[in-house]
Amino acid sequence: MRAFKLVSATDSAQAVALLAEHGPGVKVLAGGTDLLVDLKAAPEAPAVVLDISRAADMKGIAATDAGLRIGALVTHGELTRSPLVRELAPVLAEAARTIGAVQTRNLGTLGGNLVSGVPSMDSGPALIALEARVTVAGPRGTRTLGLAEFFVGPRRTALAPDELLVDVVVPAASLGKPAGFLKSGLRKGQALALVNVAAALWIDPDRGAFRAPRIALGAVAPTVIRAPRAEAYLEGRAVTAEAMAEAGRIAATEARPIGDFRASADYRRELVAVLTRRALAAACDRAEGAQ
Amino acid sequence: MTPLRITVNGREHVLPAPPETTLLALLREHLGLTGAKLGCDVGDCGACTVLVDGLAVNACLMLAAQADGRSVLTIEGLATPDALHPIQQAFERHAALQCGFCGPGVILSAKALLDANPAPTAAEIREALAGNLCRCTGYAKMITAVHAAAQALHGATDERSPRATPVPRLPLPGGGTGGPR
Repeated sequence: MRAFKLVSATDSAQAVALLAEHGPGVKVLAGGTDLLVDLKAAPEAPAVVLDISRAADMKGIAATDAGLRIGALVTHGELTRSPLVRELAPVLAEAARTIGAVQTRNLGTLGGNLVSGVPSMDSGPALIALEARVTVAGPRGTRTLGLAEFFVGPRRTALAPDELLVDVVVPAASLGKPAGFLKSGLRKGQALALVNVAAALWIDPDRGAFRAPRIALGAVAPTVIRAPRAEAYLEGRAVTAEAMAEAGRIAATEARPIGDFRASADYRRELVAVLTRRALAAACDRAEGAQ
Repeated sequence: MTPLRITVNGREHVLPAPPETTLLALLREHLGLTGAKLGCDVGDCGACTVLVDGLAVNACLMLAAQADGRSVLTIEGLATPDALHPIQQAFERHAALQCGFCGPGVILSAKALLDANPAPTAAEIREALAGNLCRCTGYAKMITAVHAAAQALHGATDERSPRATPVPRLPLPGGGTGGPR
């Protein structure tokens, strides 16, 4: 790596101030699993690297009145091991466990994965299925927005150059909501998603019907997307294998995948249908287990 | 340049390093600990795996400054003057290393696993080693060796400070040749 100036922040306020002080050329370092790879390949070093990995208020997982608050610096490894996550939103632990390998999961952070804006990220679908919100801090104060609105394009987010992602909140209403996550890659270990799907739903115990189903698709559009037509089809409908299969077929028509050297667009659409059906079934299994 | 204060294999080092120094470069080039290997240098191969505060990480993807104030364990910190660590013994006995380039990383990944999970399943061992690529020995013998190490360590006291507690050499199974079972 070429030489750069390194500055370090011990909390988010200091990080925002340093970001403003050093301007748009500053690169933010958290877990380093993306940034250091990029810097090693870059022909020129950035003027300044801002290390936020010691920002204490951006760490930790806590149950609050608003919901489950996950600091942006929480690593994928911490998500997989957290008793709170396993109890209140186990699908997040399942999704985190499919990212990279043990070593990269111990370094890479949830916030880093989200701000990458990469359409195939594994953190996005499960959080969007649980209708998570993110907190962003900048020189004009903090704001919150839905994670689905945070993603605006491939490798592009709603984050302004002088803003930082501080935390992710899974709203209280989604905690304990039965959910499933499925991912298909070219191999079992260290694979990028060809397609990943998360589904979350309630089952109305009196009618045996889907309530508030949420389906999120990854790697098949410029951003992680919801599948609103498949969700609308399931709402209020009796829980059957046929309904889940049909929702999968509908979701496949909502996907807008590209074809590349990993898989053709048609194959990805097929995967959406199958993985959506299986994610719904996994969520239903979890719902039945909870009863 | 503010000096870094890093504990490596139980010994504290205070040393300056330029900001762009990775933890791997610090270990290999500043401290002369060349057990952790420079392989892909982008976090795919796991040859640079070390434990930082007990967790396996790619030393190539961490700045040395990010390890300031923390405790690092490398392969050099496992054996005692008297004996190899039980994981190393198991790898030797089961011929789980051929060229050995991936070995330090594989063994440290196995150590992190066994510290957290003393009796892992084969699936858990595979998951723990998924970030360590081997191009010659193959993985089957490594998985056998990690199983054997788990058994050797089972019921043993905490192995986090191997230098403080020399581990005796274990007898070979059935007085055998040291080859795989």
